Amino acid sequence: MKIGVSFYSYQQSHFFKELTLEDQIREVSQNLPGADGIEIVDEMSLRYPDPGEDFVRRWHSWMEQYGTVPVTMDVSFDVLQFRDHVMSYDEVAERLMRDMRLAKRLGFSNVRVLSTCPVEVMIKALPEAERLDLRLGKEVHQPMRLEGQQVTEIIEFAERNGTDRLGIVPDFGIFGFRPSEVLLAQYERRGAKPEASVAAVELSALLRKGEGPFDLASVATETAGNLRSEFKRYLTSGDSTAVLAEPFAALRDFARARVPDPSELDYIVVAEAIMQSNTGLDTMRQLAGHVVSCHGKFNYMSEIPGHPGQYQDIAIDYEGALKALSDGGYEGYINTEYEGQRYFQDRTRAEMMDEVDQVRRHHEMLRRLLGIAAPAEVN
Amino acid sequence: MFDNYLIRSDSLRNDVVDGEVVGFSLAVRIANYRGVFLSLHTGYYLTVDGVDYPREVQTFEVNGKPPRSFDEIKGCVWEHWDYDDEAILHVARPGGLAPGAHEIRFQQCVIAAYGYLPTDEEWVKAPPKTGTGAGSDKTPQVITYHLELNDSVEA
Repeated sequence: MKIGVSFYSYQQSHFFKELTLEDQIREVSQNLPGADGIEIVDEMSLRYPDPGEDFVRRWHSWMEQYGTVPVTMDVSFDVLQFRDHVMSYDEVAERLMRDMRLAKRLGFSNVRVLSTCPVEVMIKALPEAERLDLRLGKEVHQPMRLEGQQVTEIIEFAERNGTDRLGIVPDFGIFGFRPSEVLLAQYERRGAKPEASVAAVELSALLRKGEGPFDLASVATETAGNLRSEFKRYLTSGDSTAVLAEPFAALRDFARARVPDPSELDYIVVAEAIMQSNTGLDTMRQLAGHVVSCHGKFNYMSEIPGHPGQYQDIAIDYEGALKALSDGGYEGYINTEYEGQRYFQDRTRAEMMDEVDQVRRHHEMLRRLLGIAAPAEVN
Repeated sequence: MFDNYLIRSDSLRNDVVDGEVVGFSLAVRIANYRGVFLSLHTGYYLTVDGVDYPREVQTFEVNGKPPRSFDEIKGCVWEHWDYDDEAILHVARPGGLAPGAHEIRFQQCVIAAYGYLPTDEEWVKAPPKTGTGAGSDKTPQVITYHLELNDSVEA
């Protein structure tokens, strides 16, 4: 397997103009031994939708100068862009194909579409993917899982049509098994009770063992953001979709039994337990041939007790996930995608996280778990 | 996201046109990890010292163009507000704000999303009411700022 970085990881440094795009590329090249992969979010890193020919030339000269490889470009779609109607699948496919042509100009091999992108849109864009020699991967993001229609329909299409141009981009958040400690700490700063954090961790463990008060599969088709807002709506109005009514009621009862006088925020904290995918490692092994590239998602790298200079994310099963991919024969990129900076952004800049340091720690772990040699270890 | 940095702390000032104070303005950044097509940007929940300033009195200055109303912004379906760029939110208020410190409650509304949502058709008819958290997925809380009024500028 090969390693790289998604510049999503540096979104905060980018926002505060502490790292330019070239600084980010240089960091991968010079301070992350064994890494050469670059992934960007087009609407974050570029002047969009057309960064201009001068930029494109500069981009390619950076890749050459720093010995880096454009691996995957992450694209979005906003169905209300035209404001007078909701975009049709054809219009979403047109936007995707424009983004694919941009990816090609910048030398990327893959385009990542959102987990919510309909498979029909990917299929409409397939001829353009063939023409441009690009692969399209749908992100599989927690609480979505590898099992279920959203992944199966892509795999079936790819196998039926003998194409490897459509596949998946697993986000390692799907191998998370408890809410991150930094997310829980932020909720507590906003006034959630510590008992709610404890309950969220307890419920996560029960659901992981299959001993929870409801079946996680019933919530795994929603995005985390949609689930949070649906649960909030349920708490305020008692309304929810039929599928979610039972898990939401069980969740509320679980919280009531453990958190004294629970507030709306406390309920939301306990609900973080249902954002875990609990996807199967063996499924990952079986699907490894359909993986376009991976998002090495993490939220907080802490030092492993008793192992100075070695780091882990206590909430995500990296060891299991990397072994599954390796056993399945995956040889592509794991691109680091740091997201936990967000859970400190209620604070001042001085109290926020150091993205550069967190990504370096993550790469220490990736190299160690993947057996990638690092002649001159950084730090 | 970036809760305390969505408004630049030294940017609050009165707007002056032909020597007359017509309102005030703030420099803002996008509350997301990416830019968006400008049309998706539907305005702000904004109160200053408890007074509400709805989107009808707001105009938005971005991409080197003069301030535009959010009705005009709605039609900017191919123009992009890039992640890097600061924009200026102007608010019509004859006489402007008094000198000194002001308490500002603030939330941006951008109807960007991860794909199709149940609210899509409703938001085609009218964007969500500002300040409800709808259309503000990355910063769903109203944020309170305490800012000093700076010297006014000729708009």
